[in-house]
Amino acid sequence: MSRRVDAVLVVAGALVAGGLAVALTATSDHEGLRVVGHPQSPVFVLLIGWSFIGSGLVAWRDPRSGRFGALMMAVGFAWFAASLEASGDPLLFSIGRVIAPLWIGIFLHALLSFPTGRLESAAARWVVGAYYLDVTVIQLAWVLFADVEGFPGCEECPANLFLVADNPALARAILIVEQPVVGVLALGSALVLLVLRWRAATAPLRRALAPVLTSGGICVLILLVTILVEPFSPATGRVVGWLGGVAFTAVPLAFLTGLLLRRLDRSSVGDLVVELGETAAPPDLRGALSRALHDPSLQIAYWLAHNDSYVDSDGRPIVLPPAGGASASTMVEHGGRRVAAVVHDASLLQDPGLIRAVCAAAGLALANARLQAELRARLDDLRESRTRIVEAGQAERRRLERDLHDGAQQRLLSVALGLRLVEVRLAGHPAEADHVARWRSELERSLEELREVAHGIHPAVLTDHGLAVALETVVARSAVPVRLSVDADGRLPEAVEATAYYLVSEALTNTAKHARAAKATVQVVRRGELLLVEVTDDGIGGADIARGSGLRGLADRVAAVEGRFTVTSPAGGGTSIKAEIPCV
Amino acid sequence: MRLIVADDSLLLREGISRLLVEAGFQVVGLAATAEEALRQVAQQEPDVAIVDIKMPPTHTDEGLRAAREIRTRHPGVGVLVLSQYVELGLAARLLAENAAGLGYLLKDRITDLGEFAAAVRRVGAGGSALDPAIVSQLLARRREDSALDRITAREREVLALMAEGYSNQAIADRLVITVRAVEKHVTSIFDRLGVPATTDSHRRVLAVLAFLRS
Repeated sequence: MSRRVDAVLVVAGALVAGGLAVALTATSDHEGLRVVGHPQSPVFVLLIGWSFIGSGLVAWRDPRSGRFGALMMAVGFAWFAASLEASGDPLLFSIGRVIAPLWIGIFLHALLSFPTGRLESAAARWVVGAYYLDVTVIQLAWVLFADVEGFPGCEECPANLFLVADNPALARAILIVEQPVVGVLALGSALVLLVLRWRAATAPLRRALAPVLTSGGICVLILLVTILVEPFSPATGRVVGWLGGVAFTAVPLAFLTGLLLRRLDRSSVGDLVVELGETAAPPDLRGALSRALHDPSLQIAYWLAHNDSYVDSDGRPIVLPPAGGASASTMVEHGGRRVAAVVHDASLLQDPGLIRAVCAAAGLALANARLQAELRARLDDLRESRTRIVEAGQAERRRLERDLHDGAQQRLLSVALGLRLVEVRLAGHPAEADHVARWRSELERSLEELREVAHGIHPAVLTDHGLAVALETVVARSAVPVRLSVDADGRLPEAVEATAYYLVSEALTNTAKHARAAKATVQVVRRGELLLVEVTDDGIGGADIARGSGLRGLADRVAAVEGRFTVTSPAGGGTSIKAEIPCV
Repeated sequence: MRLIVADDSLLLREGISRLLVEAGFQVVGLAATAEEALRQVAQQEPDVAIVDIKMPPTHTDEGLRAAREIRTRHPGVGVLVLSQYVELGLAARLLAENAAGLGYLLKDRITDLGEFAAAVRRVGAGGSALDPAIVSQLLARRREDSALDRITAREREVLALMAEGYSNQAIADRLVITVRAVEKHVTSIFDRLGVPATTDSHRRVLAVLAFLRS
């Protein structure tokens, strides 16, 4: 309530102050001092003062920009107060002379503290402090020692009541300190700060800062030019000063434009609703949110309930940014459940309403997309665990085979050798030697069987000598004539070799069993990072992954090493089984 | 004949060498690793080095590499590679360039002392020895052309023994026929299969192997 009363007071004050200022400037009997941007046209006086107070009032009503609004209003009132120097009354004139440049100090303060109203950096505080000192204390010092004749363009002004001693040399020295030295330094530094701030800003922040920083920067630039040009060419100074007046009116307008842009952003939420409403799962949800929030860096992190983590739309893990950094995250809920976090530029937090509105509009679409992302993440998990299981099985078979080879097979063989030695020693006892020979041949048959078993568990030749050597035996054992060509130099990763080996042997077994083929071809070619394996026969075709468990198993094996598997088997047209296995 | 035996299993190394001594060979060195085998060969210059294909440290193809090295560095030393499994592809690669003074046998063959001793002697004399299992696998292999159907059962037997590395005389002894008869079979086989004729028994192994693998 009190803010509303205050607002009424401010409006009333602005009306009175504006009226007085116009009255003073319109009735002035002297040309007066052209403080930069203060040509004594009543229209300019009202336009600049009221626009600052008006837009300040708008800013002030929003708690987040309240301080900035207060500063804007202060600029407006200080501007009106500067009109006192137009007065014919010596006292009012003298006061006006002292406070004439104060509004520029407040303006600089407001500009550097946009949009919070707080000077965030030490550099900004120094610049603003120095400039306040310049336009108050040093200005007063000048007035104390300069008679009206010493004021530029003030031949017919009333008497300077604050004159302590008419000392033109000292007055000129003070004026030089005030304007070309401290003034130029402070304004120049302010300009540098504005440029640095712009360069450090992210895209969404730039969008928010652009209107005020640009128009304000131009004003500061004009002030600088005026200070540097006026002493040499009063006429040019007058033109630049007039330009400055125009520029100053632009600053409050720019602020209001920024507000308007934000309102328009809210209306882009409406566009978002329309865009998302057309489909249950829009293809480019991230793009839609990114456009609505004007943040190209925006990311969507979908929440996975089962392990309380976040993933992107492809199921890859995402870590949310910590608070206080350059990016921030906003939680999205739908139907009372957490759905996702939108990771965006931290500057968007200055307009939480917009973020909330966008997240609410996208809630259903995000909930749908989350289910997909969760599915993908689980699929990835599943794929990885399948690969691990296949590899573990493979390693276990290899270990078993090796244990058999190094253990049972070697021992039994050495027993057979021992028996053979006994036979030699029994040369003089043919009956006993014959007995031993029969046991030995039993043992040898067991060895043969064991060798077959071991080979079935894992073909050691594959591990020891590679795919090309191992496939030659597979092909030689095939019941159908096979043409084999292997074009893959060197050894390949174990999983790849094993997959290709089992693919070829299983495919040839199928051919022999079902295809009624006259011949088959096996081609193994390495193409860059892929091993291409193709087994083709000229049989009756009609093989189907869905029906044959052998083919199904092959497809699974190839899939477990992230390969592609295809079966082409038209009825009567032969069968072609192809696999592309990545060699990584 | 002077031999060295290289096998990383002590039991097998001892067993093989004692059987070979029983068969009348002189075992002049034993080695547990491929490196040691190479050293022994350099020192002893044996007639034949009998090398296990699986040796430390990786137990994959160290023996095979040692065999190749012996053949390059000591062309006068025959190499007989033993393995607990025999593989056609491996035999083809091992014999590829030059089958002279080279053998590749299943380790179990040693219990058939007579055959094994014959194979060692063949290799020591610059001939070849290819495991019968590989040869029978090749002969049993289904083929697109029917060239093999054009030869007689007897010729098939002769062909198998040729592939194993037997000389005409040895084939004649084994099949209890005259050398003259063997020569007739051999000519007929080469004719019918279209294999370029050669009398060198180890070149013959390669020619037959090449035909059977094609």
